[in-house]
Amino acid sequence: MNKATADRVKFEFKDVDVERTEHTVNLHVRHEKLAELLKHLKEREGFRHFIDHTCIDFPDKRERFQGIYILYNPDVNERVLVKTWAKDGKLPSIEKLWPCARWAEREAYDMFGVIYDGHENLRRMFMWEGYPYYPLRKDFPMEGPQEVELPSLTELYAGRTEPPSHDFELMHTRVATLEDLERTERSRLKKKAQLVLNWGPLHPGTHGTIWFLFDLDGESVVQSDVILGQLHRGMEKIAENIYYFQFLPYTDRMDYISAICNELAYVNTVEKLLGVEVPQKARYIRTMFAELQRINSHLLWLGTGALDLGALTVFLYAFREREKIMDIIEGNAGFRLTSAFLRIGGVHYDLAEGTLDVVKAFIKDFPQRLREYHNLLTRNRIWLRRTKDIGIISREDVFNYGLSGPVARASGVPYDLRKLEPYAAYDELDFDIPVGEVGDVYDRYLVRMEEMVQSLRIVEQCVAKLEKLPKSAPYVNKEHPAVMAPKEDVFMDLEDMVKNFRIVVHGEDAPPGEVYAGGENPRGELGFYIYSVSGSKPYRLRIRSGALYNLSIFPKLIEGRTIADAIALLGSLDPVVGETDR
Amino acid sequence: MELLLSVFITLVKVLIILGVFLGVGAYLTWFERKLAGHIQARVGPKLVGPFGLLQPLADGIKLLTKESVIPRNADKAVYYLAVVLAVAPALMLFSVIPFGPSFTLFGYEIKPLVSDVNIAVLLIFAFGSIVVYGTIFSGWASNSKYAFIGSLRKAAVVIGYEVILGFSVLGVILLAGTMSTVGIVQAQIERGIWFVFYQPVAFVLYLFCMLAETGRVPFDIQEAEAELVTGYNVEYGGMRFGVFPLAEWYLGVMALSAIAVVLFFGGWSGPAIFGPLSPYLWFFIKMFGLVFFVLWLHWTLPRFQARDITEVGWKVMLPLAIANVVITAVVAYIL
Repeated sequence: MNKATADRVKFEFKDVDVERTEHTVNLHVRHEKLAELLKHLKEREGFRHFIDHTCIDFPDKRERFQGIYILYNPDVNERVLVKTWAKDGKLPSIEKLWPCARWAEREAYDMFGVIYDGHENLRRMFMWEGYPYYPLRKDFPMEGPQEVELPSLTELYAGRTEPPSHDFELMHTRVATLEDLERTERSRLKKKAQLVLNWGPLHPGTHGTIWFLFDLDGESVVQSDVILGQLHRGMEKIAENIYYFQFLPYTDRMDYISAICNELAYVNTVEKLLGVEVPQKARYIRTMFAELQRINSHLLWLGTGALDLGALTVFLYAFREREKIMDIIEGNAGFRLTSAFLRIGGVHYDLAEGTLDVVKAFIKDFPQRLREYHNLLTRNRIWLRRTKDIGIISREDVFNYGLSGPVARASGVPYDLRKLEPYAAYDELDFDIPVGEVGDVYDRYLVRMEEMVQSLRIVEQCVAKLEKLPKSAPYVNKEHPAVMAPKEDVFMDLEDMVKNFRIVVHGEDAPPGEVYAGGENPRGELGFYIYSVSGSKPYRLRIRSGALYNLSIFPKLIEGRTIADAIALLGSLDPVVGETDR
Repeated sequence: MELLLSVFITLVKVLIILGVFLGVGAYLTWFERKLAGHIQARVGPKLVGPFGLLQPLADGIKLLTKESVIPRNADKAVYYLAVVLAVAPALMLFSVIPFGPSFTLFGYEIKPLVSDVNIAVLLIFAFGSIVVYGTIFSGWASNSKYAFIGSLRKAAVVIGYEVILGFSVLGVILLAGTMSTVGIVQAQIERGIWFVFYQPVAFVLYLFCMLAETGRVPFDIQEAEAELVTGYNVEYGGMRFGVFPLAEWYLGVMALSAIAVVLFFGGWSGPAIFGPLSPYLWFFIKMFGLVFFVLWLHWTLPRFQARDITEVGWKVMLPLAIANVVITAVVAYIL
């Protein structure tokens, strides 16, 4: 936030404190003035794009919960954090300003128990109705909830037998019962039309375990809601309790289709916090693999999206190319899907022998394959009919619903963090950002197809650069005290071994401070907000999921359309449940 | 004696048709999977028997030995009736299809079709309309929302396309001057030209109707596995489930292809290069050409939406079909 804006805000709101930390600009505002300030920022200062909202729990403070709003100004490419203290465990709801805040507030309610005044339907976001805890509060029992006696289904129907007919453990952690789930379902939707269709949680069309509720009149959807949380693993809570480097493999398991992109976003944020410089070679390797992963992810989207619309063959064609990328990643990282390839300060392995040759062969072959996909779909009348003018997202909605990634770009908003806040080696590479015009499903399809071409361009430049770099160039910045040395050094060098030992046992020593940084993932902006009070574990680590915010517009888009459109729409928004639920 | 003999001959014919077409239908699954495999850059079934030829048998055994699970609130009678109604009409369609010219065996003239009735084309429509009851009953009786939506979609489509089917065939009937299938083939042989050249529009319309009736891509909305998890037959298990695709996808496609051959491609006509069996071989070659085309489409195109299908049906194809009939009638009257 520049000086002039800060002065204007100070002038309008006398008691707003502008705090400039190393990485962020924070506006501290009193609880009563929050809605007014946000409205001012949105309408007068151009901070239109809603990025994220979350809370932090400070059990020692009198007010306890601090709400944090992250906003973005697309005109001048700036972010601002607005912070406020809850009053009696309550915050005002801002869903009138940004409809997507509805979900963020519900999540904060679910995780912290903060009540939002004026929220239309304040229900739990991920946990089921009746869950007795608020997981992200600091007083959550880390040893786990008490175990209770849970009979098996056989026992429920046939009574308990002696000896037991099976070796079923009696004591279990309480899980959601059918009654709980029914309550969860009913709390979401007041039936208006004829038929409520449970679409999911286990349904081939939902691309994971999302539970959609469609209130149907005939085949058109009158209202709908989404019940998330089937894949909720409490990533943010886990992160608070382990060292920074230990959390890296967890990020793989969020958007498991684009693991390396997740890692890149995460290590980028942590490196900012720790002040780690990354060697050039590592930056290029990261960029190359992230872009390969992006192509990989878009191929999966293309295959499954086409499969949903009945084009069965595109799926296998896409997987054929995807397999090649998987092989490249496996050859270098050792893993195919959740590769844990990046490290804080560099990458885990140097380039494996022959990697660049394989990548070059792939670059040569892929444009031809892309033409194949275009031949099958792009001018296909049925495909056009299924995708054109369906689920049109306006520019305003991009900002109001906090959309990002290809979904935002298809609506003509050139929001791409690779250009706006370059990380890795993106500022040294030459590539274009494709944007759509209409913002319908077809535009999102075209944008993603073109992104693959651009990614290929980036990979090509990375290969050229990496070929020029000497083989002995460092791929990890092991000079930094918080960065682990590569394995071969650890085995050979006493100093490195001691350092590694220290980091593994005691963790990195992070300075106090806060940082928000995002990565441009195939599914939108994956942001990490880290609040550190020094020490080796984050006090709070918030994950801003692009897929979750992109999904938040789904109930609006589907209204009045049919189930067949739902599938085209969902495919074009392309959520991955690992990331929406975390 | 005469009566007994004719009953016997008919029985033999029925058994031959049942045996041949149920067997071929089962093997069509193998053919489709193999074809799909090669279209999709993979190999298809290859482990069970040479070239995977025993795969249909293995599938059949698997389906037959499955535990039968019926939803608790299902309407049992209708649930079973749906299976019958799905297969029976599809098989009945074969009864009016002439596979070759009549020949004499031990002094008896034998026609290679089960019943040479003079309203054969009407019968085809009638059976075709009954097929849809199988789908609707299965969707209704299994007491599942997914099955219900799937069957309703199918009903909407079939009602529309029955009409178009009728009008598209009318042109051929006008040209041939008869509703008997044998008569229609004979008319084409006499003129020395297939009706597809007189009635190209009608043939294209018929092709669309065929895809819609049998629920093949791009009209497979009642199954739509991505949205409705195979729709109307989702609550069926074991062979009861296996019967639906067998009836719709294989028997239905074959029967409607055979009818298309009769109506548009001159039936069994063709140069006698295969010896005495050549009429039958020609018939099957033409029929499988069409079946192949349908399978090819299935593995290439995306799927329409229910709304679009009915819209195209009523707004584009029906006027076209009617115009085609009117023009044919006028031209046929003048000439």
